[in-house]
Amino acid sequence: MKTEPAAPFTTRLLDRSRLSEKAFQIELDRPSGFQFLPGQSITIVKESVQRDYSLACAPDSARLTLCVRHVPHGLLSPFLAAAPLGTSFSFTGPHGYFLFRQSPRPAVFVATGAGVAPFFSMVSAGITGFTMLHGARTADELYYEKHLRAASARYVPCLSEGSVPGCFMGRVSDWAREHLSPQAYDFYLCGSREMIRDVTLLVDERFPGSLVLTEIFH
Amino acid sequence: MKTNVGSGDRGITSLLSGERVPKSHARVEACGEVDELASVLGACAAALSPAHAALQQEIQGVQSDLLHIGAWLATSPDSPTRQMLRTISPDRIREMEDAIDRLEGELAPLQSFVLPGGHTTAAWAHIARTVCRRAERRVQSLGTDAGEAAGESSGGILAYLNRLSTYLFALARYCNKLHGVPEATWKG
Repeated sequence: MKTEPAAPFTTRLLDRSRLSEKAFQIELDRPSGFQFLPGQSITIVKESVQRDYSLACAPDSARLTLCVRHVPHGLLSPFLAAAPLGTSFSFTGPHGYFLFRQSPRPAVFVATGAGVAPFFSMVSAGITGFTMLHGARTADELYYEKHLRAASARYVPCLSEGSVPGCFMGRVSDWAREHLSPQAYDFYLCGSREMIRDVTLLVDERFPGSLVLTEIFH
Repeated sequence: MKTNVGSGDRGITSLLSGERVPKSHARVEACGEVDELASVLGACAAALSPAHAALQQEIQGVQSDLLHIGAWLATSPDSPTRQMLRTISPDRIREMEDAIDRLEGELAPLQSFVLPGGHTTAAWAHIARTVCRRAERRVQSLGTDAGEAAGESSGGILAYLNRLSTYLFALARYCNKLHGVPEATWKG
């Protein structure tokens, strides 16, 4: 058990596209030798700043894709939003244990905002048949909706603003409380700290015997 | 890495493998002991002057090992997450034995029981040794309770903690020597 740091890789920004007013997607050159599993993240390092981003692509993808929430006064996202294509930077990884596992319990994926990235990676790797609770402020922030809807057994968009046909109006935890039948599940939670807290407490109350795997995104 | 906040307010926490368990669960207890050990070692390292940076670094290496051990203990044995975690290699245990030999080579042979204390760094190392022994007991009983055999299937943790306790005893004595503080011995 040596204390080796995670291997540093150098990459280049190849493409950038807008997902919504608040988020964008970037594609990076995949360094030779970099392997990851769906659900894992990388840490982008720029001078003294480090930020974790889940990979939003298949493990055999030629490019690495990240879903980035644009924080106007943030430490890294403004750089990623403005850097010219071709800009080089380094990252470490892969990190994390937010990995899908086969189980006799039904899987429930719960995402808010850019927290949908690891689920998109899992779906890109062929994982299907789960229940997806997809939370966002507005419908245009339901990133990767088409792919997630197609792969899931049940897809539930939950919006906190406005009224959109076919969408549940309210929090993902409200939907789970009202509609998810009481039994044990494997919950995969990725998104805001508030969502993770609310759903985890709900699991303790209503779904004992469940697994809860979490990844926090701000 | 971001930390979860609030989902343990009712006395239940998540293992790394996803199970929700009471905070008094044997696995959480074992993690807590290892965490306490790493913290006490931090106090020991912090009390060393920058002139002893190599020793500080060696202690930080142990703290890093303890984080890996904590992750292992926080994961149920049948979880696939276990397959992704680092175990303690035989090489790492040999490194620990070499470190013990190095420190003991600097010390006079023991003629009597040593009374824990002396320089602040030595006192912290003695506390760390006792916490290490407690952690070892918790891990051992966790293995028994969870049906995990000692040795290979516990990722070398028991062997590592056993060596670490010996290392910390040698470290405590070495810290006193390093700072010119005579060892207090048991007069019987």
